[in-house]
Amino acid sequence: MVEKDESGPGGISEEEAAQYDRQIRLWGLEAQKRLRASRVLLVGLRGLGAEVAKNLILAGVRGLTLLDHQQVSQEDTRAQFLIPVGSLGRNRAEASLERAQNLNPMVDVKADPESVESKSQEFFTQFDAVCLTCCSRESMVRINQICHKNGIKFFTGDVFGYHGYMFADLGDHEFVEEKPKVAKVTTGVEDGPEAKRARLDPAETTMVKKVSGESPGGIWGGQTPKNQR
Amino acid sequence: MGAAVGAAAPELAQAVSQARLLKNLVLTGFSSIYVIDLDTIDVSNLNRQFLFQKKHVGRSKSQVAKESVLQFCPEANIIAYHDSIMNPDYNVEFFRQFTLVMNALDNRAARNHVNRMCLAADIPLIESGTAGYLGQVTVIKKGVTECYECQPKPTQKTFPGCTIRNTPSEPIHCIVWAKYLFNQLFGEEDADQEVSPDRADPEAAWEPAEAEARALASNEDGEIKRVSTKQWAKSTGYDPVKLFTKNFCGTYKYSCSSFFFSFFPKEQNKSDQQNESSAMLKDQQVLNVRSYADLFSKSVKTLSLHLAEKADGEALIWDKDDPSAMDFVTSAANLRMHVFGMNMKSRFDIKSMAGNIIPAIATTNAVIAGLIVLEGLKILSGKIDQCRTIFLNKQPNPRKKLLVPCALDPPNPNCYVCASKPEVTVKLNTHKVTVLTLQDKILKEKFAMVAPDVQIDDGKGTILISSEEGETEANNHRKLSDFGIRNGTRLQADDFLQDYTLLINVLHSEDLEKDVEFEVVGDAPERIGPKPSEPTPKNISNGSDDGAQPSTSTAPEQDDVVIVDSEDEGTSSNADDVENKSRKRKLEKGCECVGAKRVRNLLLPLDKVIHVMSYCNSTLSWDVKNVQN
Repeated sequence: MVEKDESGPGGISEEEAAQYDRQIRLWGLEAQKRLRASRVLLVGLRGLGAEVAKNLILAGVRGLTLLDHQQVSQEDTRAQFLIPVGSLGRNRAEASLERAQNLNPMVDVKADPESVESKSQEFFTQFDAVCLTCCSRESMVRINQICHKNGIKFFTGDVFGYHGYMFADLGDHEFVEEKPKVAKVTTGVEDGPEAKRARLDPAETTMVKKVSGESPGGIWGGQTPKNQR
Repeated sequence: MGAAVGAAAPELAQAVSQARLLKNLVLTGFSSIYVIDLDTIDVSNLNRQFLFQKKHVGRSKSQVAKESVLQFCPEANIIAYHDSIMNPDYNVEFFRQFTLVMNALDNRAARNHVNRMCLAADIPLIESGTAGYLGQVTVIKKGVTECYECQPKPTQKTFPGCTIRNTPSEPIHCIVWAKYLFNQLFGEEDADQEVSPDRADPEAAWEPAEAEARALASNEDGEIKRVSTKQWAKSTGYDPVKLFTKNFCGTYKYSCSSFFFSFFPKEQNKSDQQNESSAMLKDQQVLNVRSYADLFSKSVKTLSLHLAEKADGEALIWDKDDPSAMDFVTSAANLRMHVFGMNMKSRFDIKSMAGNIIPAIATTNAVIAGLIVLEGLKILSGKIDQCRTIFLNKQPNPRKKLLVPCALDPPNPNCYVCASKPEVTVKLNTHKVTVLTLQDKILKEKFAMVAPDVQIDDGKGTILISSEEGETEANNHRKLSDFGIRNGTRLQADDFLQDYTLLINVLHSEDLEKDVEFEVVGDAPERIGPKPSEPTPKNISNGSDDGAQPSTSTAPEQDDVVIVDSEDEGTSSNADDVENKSRKRKLEKGCECVGAKRVRNLLLPLDKVIHVMSYCNSTLSWDVKNVQN
């Protein structure tokens, strides 16, 4: 795994700035640094798990632990693009490790062949976020309670053919919402001579910080659906 | 690539077995996948294009994608072309061999072209695109749905010459000017990219002293007018001070001396202190004027060396990923902003605007890729009636939907592409417009023809333009009226590659607006009032604009602006209802899902309205205007 250089301007290395450029332009440098500092646990490496792993690794999290006690089956070879040909019978997490790591050497990717049900409470507290797939209801409830108690972001989801679901319990958290900037009569400070006329620039937006007061139980999609103006 | 449909949980095996079977049947039916992309891999692609790794940077995208896919699916039959889809080798017959075409393009010209090819070959086309968190998928089938060009899409924002040359009021004007200056000095000179102040502009308020100075200067420099900017620059040895003086001190309102003083500030500028925080990337810092003057000087020297290394007659092409070219535009634009009293911008921001960068992430692309495949499956199983336009929004709608399907609209009977006998009326001055303008600006740029042939509908079939190189070159600089073209004349324009014939009615007019060479009658009029702040105009190209040659990563990231006709609401909470009710819903009062007629105002994270495209991740041509959620 490539060491990250924290000493670059902005707190990330030039290599990272170049690689993450297109996403930094979307969610900002601050968000990228937070991703870069977070450790995530991913349980279940079937098709859905592989997708989630790919997305998290490409985003540039600090570390991702792939946890799966199952072995690679025939079905897995069709839907899971991290597992190389000829891996039938291998542990799924371990079989996925190499391809996953190659997606982004700057992420610390680990494989754990144990069952999630055998993990103690302490195990989960090393993570900032936990994502479960292919888990039994009992497991989901148990782990959700552990996460909620410890302020760990909790996600779970699964797919069934053309159907699927995702659930998130983010506890009390802060988030930002994008709002349009309201037109102001400028006094020529920002712009050129024409600035004196009031100009509504709908493309200008501002990020507004909000705090969620969500009670345990989580919310759909991980965001408040309320449309606040 | 993108989203693979996950395996079913055992307890639901029964319910999904049919779907899986269908998928397997369908997939078994894929005999081969052809992949075409002219681009090569860049490091900035790696945050989302997961088939590529660092070691692949510089290599062909289509080739590496194929190799990576074969790693996990060795039995896939993939044919990769490192080429432009607009290459005439890919004719109608080529397209006819496919059951389905999926677009993942990043520019309007290519989308228009593939649209026409698929119409000509009568092959279903899945169009798509993404921009940041937003995405869209739609299906195009000749005779069944709207084609890509049925609804007019707004052309990329352009600025009047006088705004660029005389009266910039926004940073973007200065950035456009800087890119023009790059071309005048180092690139292909373009008569439409003048940088010197337009003295004919009535709004140019020359101060008396200034006017006199100019008169004197022009007498002395009288010779300069006869020499191209590039030749003059060369004659000075690309001396940065001389270049600076000519291009920046010539601007009115500021005398040379006061401007020069600003480069030697006694105290540190405020901006220096702000930049000390580590909350910014190096590129996100805004430097002081002196630093940009130095950067201008440095980049001019480097670029003049690059130009000297080129063969005779060859020019540099502006590329946002070329450090000196980017340095040049950053410094020149900022110096101009400073002169005109605007706050300067960081290299990071200028790069976004100058390079038409659309932010992009893996997840949006994964969602859209999944949707593309799902629409594809419907088509392949003969259920095109179930196809939809689907929008991926940033926030759930009032019905709590993030993904919103809308019924596909039938073809526009007056579409100038897919109607049975397409026809348009073009307003222009026949005494002023040349044959070359007709070919390049009207037929190629506006009507997206690639290799047009034009004859006059005069009973004699007089050939005005031939797509065969050299045949009608002599006509290029002659005016249309020279050929007897006047009000009411009809021209027949053909693009044989696209199997496309367009009848053009000429409407002669002498009162077009300044800087406007032609108008297509029936085009949506320009919006009055608040406009979205849009990035560089369409005649600014980054690197190889039309992407006609297989290239390095100088191919534009995107150069297109398309309108999102995104009516997001309108479906019930039960997805099945869409099929039953969507048609009826269109007629209901207050119906939100009316298809591509209304434009919502979209808020963008950055004030950019261009779509991004990468081969592996299907992205979409977005017409994103401002949307108020």
